[in-house]
Amino acid sequence: MIEIKDIAYWYENKDNPLFENVNLVFEKGKSYAIVGRSGSGKTTFLSLIAGLDKPKSGEILYEGEAINRIGLTRYRNKDVSIVFQSYNLFTYMSALENLMTAMAITGASHSGDREYAIEMLKKVGIDEETAKKNVQHLSGGQQQRVAVVRTMCCDALLVVADEPTGNLDEANTKEIIELLQDLAKSQGKCVIIVTHEPDVAQMCDVQYVLKDRQFQMID
Amino acid sequence: MNFFKRALLNIKAKKGRTFLLILVMSAIMLFVLAGLIIQNAATTAANDAKKSAGATVTLAANRDKAFSDMKASSSTKSKPSLNLAGVEVSTAKKIGVLSNVKSYSLTTSTTANASSFDAITTSDSSQGGMGGKEMKSAASTGDLTISGVSSTASALSSNGAKITKGRGLTASDLNTKNVVIETELASTNKISTGDTITMKSTSGTKYKVKVVGIYKASSTSSANGGGPGANDPSNTIYTAYTFANTLKGSKYKGTVDSVVYTLSNPAKSADFTKAAKKLINTSKFSMSTNDSTYQSMLTPLNNIKSFAQKIVILVAVAGTIILALIVILMIRERRYEIGVLLSLGEKRWKVIAQFFVEMFMVLIVSLVVAGVGGKFVGNVIGDQLISQQTTTATISSTSSDMQGGPGGNAEGGALSGTKGGPGGSVPSGTMGQATKSEKLKNLSTTVSVKDLVELGGMGLVIIFISIMLASFGILRLEPKKILIS
Ligand SMILES: Nc1ncnc2c1ncn2[C@@H]1O[C@H](COP(=O)(O)OP(=O)(O)OP(=O)(O)O)[C@@H](O)[C@H]1O
Ligand SMILES: [Mg+2]
Repeated sequence: MIEIKDIAYWYENKDNPLFENVNLVFEKGKSYAIVGRSGSGKTTFLSLIAGLDKPKSGEILYEGEAINRIGLTRYRNKDVSIVFQSYNLFTYMSALENLMTAMAITGASHSGDREYAIEMLKKVGIDEETAKKNVQHLSGGQQQRVAVVRTMCCDALLVVADEPTGNLDEANTKEIIELLQDLAKSQGKCVIIVTHEPDVAQMCDVQYVLKDRQFQMID
Repeated sequence: MNFFKRALLNIKAKKGRTFLLILVMSAIMLFVLAGLIIQNAATTAANDAKKSAGATVTLAANRDKAFSDMKASSSTKSKPSLNLAGVEVSTAKKIGVLSNVKSYSLTTSTTANASSFDAITTSDSSQGGMGGKEMKSAASTGDLTISGVSSTASALSSNGAKITKGRGLTASDLNTKNVVIETELASTNKISTGDTITMKSTSGTKYKVKVVGIYKASSTSSANGGGPGANDPSNTIYTAYTFANTLKGSKYKGTVDSVVYTLSNPAKSADFTKAAKKLINTSKFSMSTNDSTYQSMLTPLNNIKSFAQKIVILVAVAGTIILALIVILMIRERRYEIGVLLSLGEKRWKVIAQFFVEMFMVLIVSLVVAGVGGKFVGNVIGDQLISQQTTTATISSTSSDMQGGPGGNAEGGALSGTKGGPGGSVPSGTMGQATKSEKLKNLSTTVSVKDLVELGGMGLVIIFISIMLASFGILRLEPKKILIS
């Protein structure tokens, strides 16, 4: 569903790109892990897939159409949903309001359905009372679960996560990764996770390492 | 409309910040409102000034023309004579029905001699001892000053005089021989109302007239001096202008010396003069406008108005800058939130709309606060302004008083006639005082619905501009920045 075609990216120095001549395909119903040294350009790569930035050369196709043509705002709105290391929730809202807002902005099929949002939160162990508290009063693990539930509630088929477990303990990490795996397995989404934890990478269907400006598959 | 809901949630959640914003916004709105209130009050006061200080336009013979005619004829003829034309009463009435005329009064003055009674003689009278010329002037001048009027009401009050017994003359006294005499003259000759007295025209004809009223001249009016040849102010007798004409001689029938038109809108006195000039022979007659009272009231009010206007502009500009800075800082602080919105694919204009709605809600509350506090602030600033403007008012009315001074009888009367204040003889300081108190009363600083609507409009413009300024940050913000932080 996502096709990376010959892309390259650099910040200041054209002669020293973070990566170049990258050709990859990501498919629905599968989970992918991207590992690599710090500063190798994993987050940068993810931001290109998420439509937050444009590659310097080459193009990214979503379902056969260049995401530039779809329009990056529209692409982010309809086709991709993002999970960050720092949860990226609206801090002035409750967990429930966060879900309602995200569904409204993305025009999700369950938009406006409070019961559905409460049900989804219950599935990840957040009861109704907790769901109505300001998200800043939730634990890190709870907040990240809200962020993952948000990707469940939105219809986007592509889910990208940048170090989603970076701030979590082992138990929470396991839970979050399982939830993300479940997105691929039962919702048929394409899940791409950037991580530096080998354990997390192990749980994904396919693993890539960003090394020497190239993505190499690990068997 | 999701941005609307987000704005509500944000306003509710960030109570501290909302409170601070309301505080700043209220302060700005309060200052703008104060300016608006004063501006509107000055406008209202200026309109009131128009009404209360109506200008007057005097129609009389063109003296300049008459003098130049006299000079021209004196070169050929031996004896120069000043030939002043009387204003036809019918013409005066035609002009009187023009729009903008509130009222008008006709005046004819002449002199006569006392017959059945004695005129008051002043001990240091300048009547005698003037040398050779004395004979000629004495021949055509009587010892009584006859003031023929259409009604005594304005003529008396303009000279600071009051009816003490009987009644004044009105339009119904036209074509009668009813007169009003001064109380000094009455008591010296033991005349009371209802009595009939006899006077003699300068040509020698005797007339029996009926005293219907007695007036008391202003105690200071002796300083006035009065017209040429008149001796003591107590010798002034008011009659209908028709009778004054009879005394003056048959060729003056149906005319008057001058007509004073009081205008309802002094701002349009030029239009009136233009229209009136079409009805008269401008080479023989002249029209002179006296709106110095109106002008003297207008100047300080216009000063207040332009000052208030400057306040409004200054506060609006300063408020916009302050608010823009605050919104810019607020938006910087909320970059993370904006990044989340953008990563969800929210349109940038909707992000800006959310900030606008938030500020709008703050504005609504601030308007209420400003509306409540506005009256207080408006009063304080209004009082301050008036006390500052007092000096200006005194200075300007003093100068106008001096202008009116040399103009003599008619002009002095016109100036104070509408104001009901003391005449031109009174020291100018008093005049300034009167003008000041008039304005003090008129500068009422109340908060009207119109003020609040105007204020709301200004507030909207202010938040719109400041959010637009701050929005460059939002428009430039790359959503990727929140991924790599
Ligand atoms: N806006 C930027 N301008 C210039 N250089 C940048 C910018 N953002 C990132 N970089 C540089 O690009 C390189 C790749 O950064 P990136 O964040 O993609 O690495 P990463 O693989 O995600 O690292 P980490 O594992 O530490 O998160 C780094 O050397 C970083 O310093
Ligand atoms: Mg990174």
